[in-house]
Amino acid sequence: MPSLLRVHEATLRNGLRVRVVPSPESPVVSLYTFFRVGSRNERPGITGISHLFEHMMFNGAAKYGPNEFDEVLESHGGRSNAYTSHDLTVYYDDFAADALDQVLELEADRMRSLIISERTLARERDVVKEERRLRVDNDVSGLLDEELHALVYQAHPYRWPVIGWMGDIEAIRREDCEAYFRTYYAPGNAVIWIAGAVHPEATLRRVRDAYGDIPAGPPLPDVVNAEPPQRGERRSVVRHPAQAPGLVVAFRGPSVSDPDALTLDLLQFVLAVGEGSRLSRRLVYLDRVAVDVGLDWSWRLDPGLLVFHAELAPDGDPARVEATLYQELARVAEEGISDRELAKAKNNLRAHLLRELTTSSGRAHALGSYEAYLGSWRAGLRLAERYSGIDGAAVRAAAERYLDAGRRSVVTLVPGPGP
Amino acid sequence: MTRADRILPPRSTFTTADGLEVVVAHRGRIPLVSLRLVLAVGSAADPPDRPGLADFTVRLLRRGTARLDADALNEAVEFVGATLAVFAAEDFLALAVTAPAEHLGTLLDVLGQMVREPTFPEDEFETERRRVLAQFANDLDDPGLLADRALQRAVWGAHPYGHDVAGNRVAMERLVRADVVGFHRLYFGPGISRLVLVGAVDARSARPLVERAFAGWRGGASQRPLPPPLEAAVGEGQVVVVDRPEQTQAQVRLGGLGYRRGAPEAFAAQVMNAALGGGFTSRLVRAVRIQRGLSYGVGSSFEPMRVGGSFLVSSFTKVETTGALLEVLLAEVARMRGRGPTRAELGKAQEYLAGLFPLRVETNEAVASAIADIWLFGLGEDWVDLYRSRIRGVTRADAARAAASFCFPRPPAVALVGPAEPLRRVAEALGPVTVRAAAEMS
Repeated sequence: MPSLLRVHEATLRNGLRVRVVPSPESPVVSLYTFFRVGSRNERPGITGISHLFEHMMFNGAAKYGPNEFDEVLESHGGRSNAYTSHDLTVYYDDFAADALDQVLELEADRMRSLIISERTLARERDVVKEERRLRVDNDVSGLLDEELHALVYQAHPYRWPVIGWMGDIEAIRREDCEAYFRTYYAPGNAVIWIAGAVHPEATLRRVRDAYGDIPAGPPLPDVVNAEPPQRGERRSVVRHPAQAPGLVVAFRGPSVSDPDALTLDLLQFVLAVGEGSRLSRRLVYLDRVAVDVGLDWSWRLDPGLLVFHAELAPDGDPARVEATLYQELARVAEEGISDRELAKAKNNLRAHLLRELTTSSGRAHALGSYEAYLGSWRAGLRLAERYSGIDGAAVRAAAERYLDAGRRSVVTLVPGPGP
Repeated sequence: MTRADRILPPRSTFTTADGLEVVVAHRGRIPLVSLRLVLAVGSAADPPDRPGLADFTVRLLRRGTARLDADALNEAVEFVGATLAVFAAEDFLALAVTAPAEHLGTLLDVLGQMVREPTFPEDEFETERRRVLAQFANDLDDPGLLADRALQRAVWGAHPYGHDVAGNRVAMERLVRADVVGFHRLYFGPGISRLVLVGAVDARSARPLVERAFAGWRGGASQRPLPPPLEAAVGEGQVVVVDRPEQTQAQVRLGGLGYRRGAPEAFAAQVMNAALGGGFTSRLVRAVRIQRGLSYGVGSSFEPMRVGGSFLVSSFTKVETTGALLEVLLAEVARMRGRGPTRAELGKAQEYLAGLFPLRVETNEAVASAIADIWLFGLGEDWVDLYRSRIRGVTRADAARAAASFCFPRPPAVALVGPAEPLRRVAEALGPVTVRAAAEMS
């Protein structure tokens, strides 16, 4: 796989890191900017500022005014968007190769000199409140996810939703945004990935020209992980006028820097990826206690979560789902997995790694994410090899350690009138 | 056509001994291959009293064949790291696989068994029925989906495009195994099917594998079923309010008729639509989100199908500002209908659509889908390669004509989802209002 990819890299004097991955087969270029900031860098009172700020990045800078970013990009045959997570804020542009200079100018302009006006902030605040109404307040899975995080985390910023609490979205001030920009959007906190039909040396030169004069930022404040140990199962109930009951169960997991994180990637495939996975077979097809089941295990910079979610029929019984789920989890912890299941999980992870790299955008995003989470993109290209070194005993041990009742938080959805 | 215009890789075709037409396109450096088997029959061919039959039939294909039970079939696909998706649309059924190239033969064998000798086991039939019924129930918790469904019914009425691809609760409760067996026997066969292979594969080595996998697949339909065209949106000038009293946000849809897939006016319509409600700088985004902060999302789109299509405007806002949102949406659509896009908007829309087009056919799966669509919808072999020049060839007069025909020259059908009382009050100005309980939408 590494032979398909050549990464050219440089670090500017202001700390900005640049990586270029040329691939001439498509006339399109993808540019990603990874900022190492997300809701984990927030504090109570301004929760949601990372995400609100992501919106503000499209609202004008010194040279290109409000909405000109998209105007210029679209009229050059491009598009842009962004997302915010607990750990990162990621901006991306796809465009025809001959628009590269123009896009670099737009991106450097907003990193150098973003303008935050009261007027645009007020309007963007309204837009984000609608986004919150869409994704959380009027969405069953959004409500459950929000409840679950607040149950699992008592001190760590993973406690609050990335989009923020409604009251905080309302309260964030312009000065908060400006301080946030100066601290977290400095070049030293960013990595730019450019993939597609580009000439590597010329592209690195152009990036230096566009971004070289942006001053390096202040040192970043540390994120304090003051999360106390969990001393037993936690439970919570959400009442909401839903059609069917529901269930989400989280177990506290490790951070991505812990080698167990990769073992849990394998365990995720064994348990819940595909129709033939253990949980799907048992809960959906054999016992028929759920109509769908899933497991989300995502890398996080600080200790993250394994989250099981089950979709039930209106007459479904969450207690039965829970009991059956725990039986299956205990089976892995006690008996381990078969050699064939282990080989299958590895085959799937290998295919998944390949699929990520099939497009320019996919390459820039995958390699940039590896660098953000694993410390280097090279570590990402060694993943298949690292997965192949994990044996069944390690998977069993990880299941025993992390799928323990004492690390568990359970949220049950009970249909009924809301508050 | 110059080389730079070519987007699709060169294709070779062959026909198997039993009459299945196959297209093979070699591309890329990554050792993956995409397989797409399409059948030119979809939910529009559902019997009127069995909506959802096509979709349910295709769902059951992976739950057992003469030689593989569901577990063995899933193991064959999933062990090697392949993915299998099986789905129905209005005009076609598709089985799509992505796999490491060295396992092409195995995956072809699985596809061949799924279409040739599915067994539709009785217990799998019941499990799947229970899942679909639960899905219908749980769909009622998704306001956006309810709005889409209400609008589809309003635009198409009793036309074969008017029911959900998955059918509805009543039909699903009535369905028996013999319906599924009958649908499979009536339609499934090489005569209305095509197999597309894209990626690390070539026709010479693929041919014997395909011959083996599909040997003995005969019968089925020889002619594609075609629904009749529709002259006017059934519910035009009428409002449906789906009552969800607990919602703090209203979902809003406006709709009318659009164009059929492959129609000559498609390009002008797409350019017009990009200016009206396509990208982030369109008129609707500017008016609704950027100038007024009324919503997080707003857009317009065409949904072309084989014999007709729809045109849809879609957004959402907090319940209190629903009236304001409706007013802005209707005013912007009317303004576009009056004069079409400006010269500057036209140019930007053309660059936007043409510039991004290569991204729409970048993966093996997307290329396989484009090749299959060319055949399914009779688009012409050069459809993909000529797309950008046709988009760039649209004139202002073409775009204005498209605006005049599609931007609600007759009052649109309207669907709103949220608490009925406040929504009924704001909707009354738009036409007669019918309030429906959410449960009626399953």
